[in-house]
Amino acid sequence: MFRWRKLGKVFTPQEVEGRSWLKEFAQAPATLVFDDFVRIYFSCRPPADEKGQYVSYSAYVDLERGDLFKQRAVAERPILSLGGLGEFDEFGTYPVSVIRNGNEVRAYYAGWTRCESVPFNVAIGMATSRDGGQTFAKHGAGPVLPYTPDEPFVLSGPKVRRFNDTWYLWYIAGRKWKRVDGRAEPVYKIRMATSDDGIRWHRANKDLIESRIEEDEAQASPDVFYANGKYHMFFCYRYSSHYRGKQNGYRIGYAYSVNLTDWVRDDAKAGIDVSDEGWDAEMISYPHVFELDGKTYLAYLGNQVGRHGFGLAVLDGKLE
Amino acid sequence: MRWRKLGKLFDPTQHELPNDCVQFAQAPQALVFDDFVRIYFSTRSVDPDNGKYLSHIAFVDMHKNLCDVIRVSDKTVIPLGGLGCFDEHGIFPMSVMRYGDAVYGYTCGWNRRVSVSVDTAIGLAISRDDGLTFQRIGDGPVLAASLHEPCLVGDGFVKVINGVFHMWYIFGTGWQRYLPDAAPDRTYKIGHATSMDGIDWVKEEGRQIVADRLGGDESQALPTVIGIDGRYHMFFCYRQSFDFRNNGGRGYHIGHAWSDDLVNWIRDDEHPSLEGTPGDWDGDMQCYPHVFESGDKVYLLYNGDEFGRYGFGLAVLER
Repeated sequence: MFRWRKLGKVFTPQEVEGRSWLKEFAQAPATLVFDDFVRIYFSCRPPADEKGQYVSYSAYVDLERGDLFKQRAVAERPILSLGGLGEFDEFGTYPVSVIRNGNEVRAYYAGWTRCESVPFNVAIGMATSRDGGQTFAKHGAGPVLPYTPDEPFVLSGPKVRRFNDTWYLWYIAGRKWKRVDGRAEPVYKIRMATSDDGIRWHRANKDLIESRIEEDEAQASPDVFYANGKYHMFFCYRYSSHYRGKQNGYRIGYAYSVNLTDWVRDDAKAGIDVSDEGWDAEMISYPHVFELDGKTYLAYLGNQVGRHGFGLAVLDGKLE
Repeated sequence: MRWRKLGKLFDPTQHELPNDCVQFAQAPQALVFDDFVRIYFSTRSVDPDNGKYLSHIAFVDMHKNLCDVIRVSDKTVIPLGGLGCFDEHGIFPMSVMRYGDAVYGYTCGWNRRVSVSVDTAIGLAISRDDGLTFQRIGDGPVLAASLHEPCLVGDGFVKVINGVFHMWYIFGTGWQRYLPDAAPDRTYKIGHATSMDGIDWVKEEGRQIVADRLGGDESQALPTVIGIDGRYHMFFCYRQSFDFRNNGGRGYHIGHAWSDDLVNWIRDDEHPSLEGTPGDWDGDMQCYPHVFESGDKVYLLYNGDEFGRYGFGLAVLER
């Protein structure tokens, strides 16, 4: 089992002032390392509207490289605008995954629209920054990864990586909408696509991670990291119903692969679970692994899927 | 070339329809058999939850004289999609094509949205019983919104030419509110994609292949392509994007373009043109064309006033 030592919550959105669009939630942390600071992207929300519905924006916080618990700055404005009338990202840009590409930073993000029979649909878009990741321009008004016969809806949670000169996108694809107590709840599974240019993608067209807790287990945040001859994936999973509390809520799972296509799930090795009390006592989710100055860190969300922010853990030992 | 109109062919209100449908026979599409012609169309039931329409596919089998009805389908040809699927709230239209022993049905699936009324995508369903029933190849679409085709991908028409599948279809360029109190209206244009198997498609990605006649606010719909004497001809319908429902001058009319290379299309609505007959069933609107060959003739099926609420008619090409 990996030994993650929890360092505590590192960012609390409620402490940020002067941003009407950033009141609560700091979801799906994703890092971009600079010479003397670490930029962590996350997704946040203004208060819900009169119907109780949210939109989500993405932003970042810059942390001192020498002390990740020292904040340097928070984004002055969202890194992406919401889409126009009828566009796939009209009601949200969450989550976002970033990668350097030459002098640019490229972002893959999930765009949210609202539907009549189910609450929402999601698709994955792409945007580029030429100012070091402060603002991003979308490549098009539509998604970069269209729905397919086998991936019919809810394409979300992109995580972009480059290995061996190939672009890899891990993401989730909706499998079904399940009616639970009169409410439509999405079931989704972890998927992968590859690309030579990051624009035209070829899908693996298979579930990468076998379901463990139930057939309709929902899986999210497939975060892949290479270390010591293997590819390591941390992800999160939950039950398909009544998952908003501790009992059926998100936990962090683990799988490894030597070829990026075939994955062996081994949750017992993940090495991180809910705490006995505190900000991450009910659920932990949206893991993101990054390396910094010889240490391996895990950023993750706590209770209510990050309503009150995200925290960090550091690995004792090696990922192997 | 000119069209000689043969009048209205089918009125849905004169027949019993499956799926509790009562009006509309839209976007007729022909599948020609040795001794009859099966014409698929989209008809409508009312959603008991909210009173909105649901489009369903049905068909009518006609004698090859294209005058006498043999029968109307009495069973579900293809059920609507499941919860949250792209075709949950209707299939309109479905374009059919023989491929080997199967019949491929390219569906345009409708799903309702909140800020705008709807989005669409193109699915594939396959029939192994000569087109009586169709089974989807998956819950999702084969052609959907992409980087430069942000919404409303639909109206696919497929033809295999020299071993390559060609699809002409429409994609939305965006939604716009033309008056402060008006519901958002959409604009769409005709695009093109190719495939080796009819399932995995490569789009030209946002290239509008037929020039506008009415300017940027022209919406173009339901392309249908046929080869005549070594030249490809495309028929489609076009209208203004706003105030097109009850204002005859702004509603759908039939457009035409031709191409010798399947890349460059020359728009030429006048040769041949199809005009409405004032006061008749197609006096205000002509829309949703479909061309096909039967015997040694080329026919055009199309809808008239009110987008085909009272059925479709026929014209024959004279050369």
